[in-house]
Amino acid sequence: MDFDSIVLTIIAGLSVFGLVRVLDGPTVWDRMLGFALFSSKVIVAAVFIGIIINRTYMIDVALIYGVLGFIGTIMIARFVERKGDV
Amino acid sequence: MTQAMEWIGNIVIIIGLIFMALGVFGIFRFRDYFSRILITAKVDTVGFITIMLGLIIKHGFDFFSGKIILVLALYIITNPIATHAITRSAHISGYRIKKER
Repeated sequence: MDFDSIVLTIIAGLSVFGLVRVLDGPTVWDRMLGFALFSSKVIVAAVFIGIIINRTYMIDVALIYGVLGFIGTIMIARFVERKGDV
Repeated sequence: MTQAMEWIGNIVIIIGLIFMALGVFGIFRFRDYFSRILITAKVDTVGFITIMLGLIIKHGFDFFSGKIILVLALYIITNPIATHAITRSAHISGYRIKKER
């Protein structure tokens, strides 16, 4: 259990709390906020996995996940803001 | 020399982890949505930046760190915009700030 995998487990634990906020968030925006927090943890975890297995393709996975997560958040925000008729 | 860089990188990563833990703690401590989104937009981004810088320091400067810088630049741009979009949709839909009890 070297340093990187300890940090990876800590980040995985923290990301669960982001999902708890998605579960019990009173408003839909709290849920989107919890998801944004969770996706940032997933990006960091992907970069750490890339470093642990020493392969560079995991960094691309983190990059693409970041872009798609961002687009998803923008679209959901637009959908909620316009009450359905985007 | 590499041992010293390793240690500096580790310390910077630990600081970044502390920021991320504070970010997660912040979204449970505050009762109102707007103070929570402030935590996510700010503290979480700082934590992300610090962890990525620690990784770059630890890993020296080569092609691998170049990609980490790319991920860092992407996240710095997208996270504020995403949190702004969420808050804008909340504000437009008539969700107003509630006084902290």
